[in-house]
Amino acid sequence: MRILLASLLLVLPLLGQKPQASPSAGSAKSTPEEGIPVTSQLVISKCGGCHKQDDHGNLSRISWERATPEGWEQAMKRMQRTRGVRLAPEEARSILKYLASDHGLAPAEATPIDYYAERRTVDETNIPNDTVKGACANCHAMARPLSWRRSKEDWTLLGNLHVALYPTADEAFRLGLVAGNYGPDRADPDPNAPTPGEQALTYLSKVAPLHTPEWSAWRARMRPPKLAGRWLVSANVLGHGRFYGEMLVEASPTADDEFTTKVKLTSLRDGSTITRTGKSVVYAGYAWRGRSTGTPAANASPDNLQSEMREVLSLSPDQSTAEGRWFWGQYQEFGFDVKLRRASADPTLITMDRTSLKTGSQATRVRLIGESLPADIAAADLDLGAGVTVKRIVSHTPQEIVAEVDVASNAVSGKRDVALRRSVLESAIAVYDRVDYIKVSPDAAMARLGSERHPKGYQQFEAIGYQRGADGKPHTADDVELGPVDVSWSVEEFYSSYNDDDKEFVGSLSSTGFFTPASDGPNPQRQFSRNNYGNVWAVATAKNEKDKDGKPLTGKGYLVVTVPAYVIFDQPEVGQ
Amino acid sequence: MRHMRPLNKKAARIDDYVSTLTEDVVGLQDGPAAQQRPHVPMGCALMFSPGWEVDSAGGTAGLCQPVERDIYDCFSTCYWPAQVPDHLNNAPDWTSKCAAATKDWRNLDIVFP
Repeated sequence: MRILLASLLLVLPLLGQKPQASPSAGSAKSTPEEGIPVTSQLVISKCGGCHKQDDHGNLSRISWERATPEGWEQAMKRMQRTRGVRLAPEEARSILKYLASDHGLAPAEATPIDYYAERRTVDETNIPNDTVKGACANCHAMARPLSWRRSKEDWTLLGNLHVALYPTADEAFRLGLVAGNYGPDRADPDPNAPTPGEQALTYLSKVAPLHTPEWSAWRARMRPPKLAGRWLVSANVLGHGRFYGEMLVEASPTADDEFTTKVKLTSLRDGSTITRTGKSVVYAGYAWRGRSTGTPAANASPDNLQSEMREVLSLSPDQSTAEGRWFWGQYQEFGFDVKLRRASADPTLITMDRTSLKTGSQATRVRLIGESLPADIAAADLDLGAGVTVKRIVSHTPQEIVAEVDVASNAVSGKRDVALRRSVLESAIAVYDRVDYIKVSPDAAMARLGSERHPKGYQQFEAIGYQRGADGKPHTADDVELGPVDVSWSVEEFYSSYNDDDKEFVGSLSSTGFFTPASDGPNPQRQFSRNNYGNVWAVATAKNEKDKDGKPLTGKGYLVVTVPAYVIFDQPEVGQ
Repeated sequence: MRHMRPLNKKAARIDDYVSTLTEDVVGLQDGPAAQQRPHVPMGCALMFSPGWEVDSAGGTAGLCQPVERDIYDCFSTCYWPAQVPDHLNNAPDWTSKCAAATKDWRNLDIVFP
C-alpha cells in the first residue's frame, strides 16, 4: 500500500496538477471558468489538505465538478483507496450529501442517465460516433462520464487521470487503438488532427459543461422535499407481472433529507402480498436513494420478491410523483419498475388486471384498481373507449371496480385510455383482433456463470404479444403491444462455430422463462477445459396463439452466457 | 434451402446451420441491415482482444479457452479495468491467493472499488 502511494506521488507531478483556482497559471487561450465555492466546513477540512482553497472559497477540482450521488461516491472511494484519505462513515455520509446536492445535477440533467443509477442494462443512444465510443464507452457505459458536469479544464484532467491509471486508455485516447484493431485506418494520417481523446474531450466539454441554465435554475429551487404521507404504487416485475399498493413515508426526526418507508404491494397475477420496510436519503431535493427489505424465506430463490432491495427514484419537482427502480441481484438483474403518486382524496386510477381485450369477446371481467373511488358507480361512468361496452359493474369498493365488458368485433385495435368519470388512466388496456407475433423480452441478454464465491448473474425472460397495427405490417413502429402471453420455453443453439455445443453447458431455462447459468471456472468436460460460456437462443413458443398456417407463434431472444465480472463498480452506500 | 433436400448427415447439419441464420424471425433482426452487424449485448466491454464478456462477433467462441488460462495477462496489463481488477493501481494483490488460475479460480476475489 505504501509503495502504491509512493508511486502515485511520483505520478502526480506528471499530471500537471496546477491548482485550477489561480488565474495566472493555466492556458493563455481562455480565462478559467468560475468555480462553485465549497461551503461545507467538513469538506474543507477533510479535502482541503490536497484540494487547495482559493480566495473565492473554491477547492481545486471539486469546485469545477458536479455529479450524481453515485459519481461523487465513486470519487470519494477512490480518494480513500488511492490517496490515503480516511473518513468515518458518518463523515462520508455528510460529505456525500453536501457534494451530491450543492454540487449535483439538475433533474433535467440526471433524467437522461437515470438508467445508470437504476443499474439497468440498456442500449445507449447517447454516444454520438465511433470515435467517442472508442475513447469513452469501450470499458464502461457512456453514462459514467455523462453523470458528471465539468469545466473544460477539468475534463482534460479526467482524461489525464485515465491515462495515468490505465494503459489501455492511453492507447485508445492517443493512438485510437481499440484493443484488437490495429489497422492503419484507425490513426488519422494528419499529425495535427485532434486525437480521439481530444475529440472526445471536446464533445464532453460541449454536452456536459460545468455551468448550465438547468443547474442555475435548480440550484435556486432546490430544497429538502416534504414527502411524508401516503403514496400509491404501481409496479412491474419482469416475469412476475404487475403489482399495486401503497408506500407510507415518514420523515426522519433528525435529518430533513432522510425518510423511513413501509410498503405493501399486491400482485395482480395471483393476489399475493409483499410487505417491506426501508429507509432512504434524498439528494439534491429529488434523487431518492434507499434500501428496503421484506421477509425472505431461508432458502428463497434468487429472484425472490422479498429480497433486500436498493431503491433509486427520481421525484418530480412538484413532489407529486416519483419513478424509478427497486433492484437486487449480484448484477442487479432483478428489479421492480415503479411509479409512485401521492394519494389524494380525488378518485385516482392506478392499474388494471388485464393488459388486453380481444375483439368480439363478451362478458370479459376486468378489474380496475384505484384509490378514493366514488361510492356510487354505474356502468355508464366507466369508459374503455370506442368499441368497448361496459355491460355491468359486478362489484366495487373505494379501491377496486370489477366490471364485465363486451368488445365489438370491429373495434379498432390499439391501446385504450380508461376513464372513470373525470379520472383517466392512459393507455391502460389494448384492444386487438389477433396476436400477430410474439417477441422475447429482453431481446438480447447476458447471464453470468457463477458459483458460491462468484455469485451467478441470472436472467428472466418474458414473451410479449403484438398486433400488427394500423399499417397491417408486423414489426413496424405502429404495432400494438399486448402484454405477456403464455409460452413454453426452450433453448436453441446459436451457431457461431461448427460443432457448437454451447447449449449443453451454459445452464438451464425454466418453464417460467427463468435462466439459471452453470458454474464458472474451467469445465474439464468441455473441449480445452473451456468455461461454460456460450451464446444461445431463448425460444418462446406460444401455447395458444397460432400463425396463419396453424403453427404456434414463436419468438427468440439472444442470450450470451459469459464469465463473471471480477470488478464491480457500484455505489450501494448512497442509499445507506 | 427450400428447393434442396439434405441426403446425408453432413448436408443435414449444413441445412440446420443455414436455416437458423436465415429463417428465424426475431425482433432484434428487423431488416437486412441488422443481420450484417453482430449484436454485442449491452453491458459488454468493447475491447476485443479477444474480449471479456464477448468476442468481436458478439458471441463467446473467440474467448480464451478457458479464460482462467490467460487471466493473469488480463490482470497485469489492466486490459479490462472495468471487468477485471487491474494490477497497476487498484488491486495489485488480486492474484496472491491463486497460484494457478485454472486450478485455484475459486480463490479469485470480486473487487468493489
